[in-house]
Amino acid sequence: MDKIMIVMRREFNAYFNSAIAYIFVVVFLVLNSAFFMNTFFLTLTADMRGFFGLIPIFLAFFIPAITMRLWAEERKLGTIELLLTLPIETYHIVIGKFLASLAFLKIAIAGTLIIPIMLAKLGTPDWGPIIGGYFGTVLLGGFFLSIGLFVSGLFEDQISAFILSMILCLFFLLVGYDFIITPIDGWVNGLGTFLKQVISMKSHFDGIERGVLSLKDIFYFITMTGLFLTFNIFSLEGRKY
Amino acid sequence: MISVSNLTKIYGSVVALDKISFKIEKGEILGFLGPNGAGKSTAMKIITTYIAATEGEVFVDNMDINKNPIEVRKKIGYLPENSPVYKEMNVKDYLTFVARARELPPEKIKERLDWVIQATGLESELRKDIGELSKGFKQRTGLAQALIHDPEVLVLDEPTSGLDPLQIIDIRKLIKDLAKEKTIIFSTHILQEVDAITDRVLIINEGRIAANGYLQDLKLKAAAYQTTFLSVLAPFKEVEAELKKISSINKIRLIEKESSENRTSLKITSPANKDIKEEIGRIISLKGWQIISLFDRDFSLEETFINLIRKSKSQGEN
Ligand SMILES: Nc1ncnc2c1ncn2[C@@H]1O[C@H](COP(=O)(O)OP(=O)(O)O)[C@@H](O)[C@H]1O
Ligand SMILES: [Mg+2]
Repeated sequence: MDKIMIVMRREFNAYFNSAIAYIFVVVFLVLNSAFFMNTFFLTLTADMRGFFGLIPIFLAFFIPAITMRLWAEERKLGTIELLLTLPIETYHIVIGKFLASLAFLKIAIAGTLIIPIMLAKLGTPDWGPIIGGYFGTVLLGGFFLSIGLFVSGLFEDQISAFILSMILCLFFLLVGYDFIITPIDGWVNGLGTFLKQVISMKSHFDGIERGVLSLKDIFYFITMTGLFLTFNIFSLEGRKY
Repeated sequence: MISVSNLTKIYGSVVALDKISFKIEKGEILGFLGPNGAGKSTAMKIITTYIAATEGEVFVDNMDINKNPIEVRKKIGYLPENSPVYKEMNVKDYLTFVARARELPPEKIKERLDWVIQATGLESELRKDIGELSKGFKQRTGLAQALIHDPEVLVLDEPTSGLDPLQIIDIRKLIKDLAKEKTIIFSTHILQEVDAITDRVLIINEGRIAANGYLQDLKLKAAAYQTTFLSVLAPFKEVEAELKKISSINKIRLIEKESSENRTSLKITSPANKDIKEEIGRIISLKGWQIISLFDRDFSLEETFINLIRKSKSQGEN
């Protein structure tokens, strides 16, 4: 546990040692608020449905930018050799890096809390879906972060890591939409439906975001996150041979 | 302290290490010498558990590195090739991070930091980002990181490469000072580097051991031969035919860039205890050729090293 915290602390501070982190947070907040305000003034309802409807797609772009450097930079600089010869288990390092990126993501998301505060001033929002929405966003964020972390471990080049992570995140997002699923079903019968029902994050996120906390949905995100973190550990161990 | 047996590493189709075995006793300091691509870094990466061997075994302090990697890592301080460091961290934060990760108790961290900073001369650089340091200070930061937990074993991969001559002297001195209480293995492709730091040497080439022993022995071997340089106004073939009559000559080699059709410059190897200059002079004046120069010198250590490597190469090809 101590070891995880030591790795996490270094990694978390590293975000703030580069200007890029600040820029990303600002861009994330500005874009999110802009889109929100846009729908808010159109509908004038005191809820965040529009906001949480868009958040998965924002995260699919934003998160790869947070995770791309986590391993790729270590590989490029050669510091991975120091890190993996410290007396720390590989899985401690992976979890440490993951938690650092999750902490950073939570800060960015916390910046958007200004929206519900504003809604509370203007009207009486239904808190269920808002709390559920934030909870779902963190779960989804963790899942995408684990994808990004795993992919970062496959590259020395951050841009390659960014692009592949983004494609993977978009994949898990888009297989939840019928306009993607129908052509896949036409191509291989049943594949599209299978992807939508088993792989896609959409139905799970939608459930939580409606304020309905079902164990099945939470289980989906936790399993997927664990799966990609495990891939990351295996790919690091496999690199030895 | 370190025992390596039949260590083999194959990368795809490249055999980087081919069944090498050697031992380093506690308190010994071993120079790991070999040309680029010999397999030095590969061996060090395996010993430090960064990569796994294809075959063979390594024990550090009687612990199998595959069974006990975490315990082995605790014993080792490692400076990888090119001394990688987190550029955006400052020296002090970085060393503190390594100290914590190396499980130093909080109350000891300050004491060890002070010691290591003093030993590596980093006092003036503590608040600077490592990315901004000069090559020499970057290297010292790498060394400081390897020393912070006061390890019993130090593995240093080309600790002086890329440094200027003064910095090289400093680092060599530091390694020598540390040698008093630690088991050290350092790699280099420069023979003089080994000579400047230690006597115990392991020469590897193309993944095989070419020599394992003491520089002193190599020097003795070297001292058994001498090199004679001859420059004479006559065609090579004729000079060679005459010199072959001298039985104590081991080898004759033409120095092409100093020779022409009518001028022959040779490098002649012979046992050190025979003075062949006199005999060469006699034979040549009998033929009436004009000698431009004739002198000898001791066989250098460098030449012995190169010969060893050539020999291991031809053995490998057979
Ligand atoms: N990751 C790798 N993949 C493939 N070949 C490698 C790798 N690392 C080293 N090699 C090859 O193994 C051989 C030994 O390399 P190395 O141990 O780095 O030598 P040295 O440190 O003595 O210069 C070289 O031929 C090198 O090209
Ligand atoms: Mg090397």
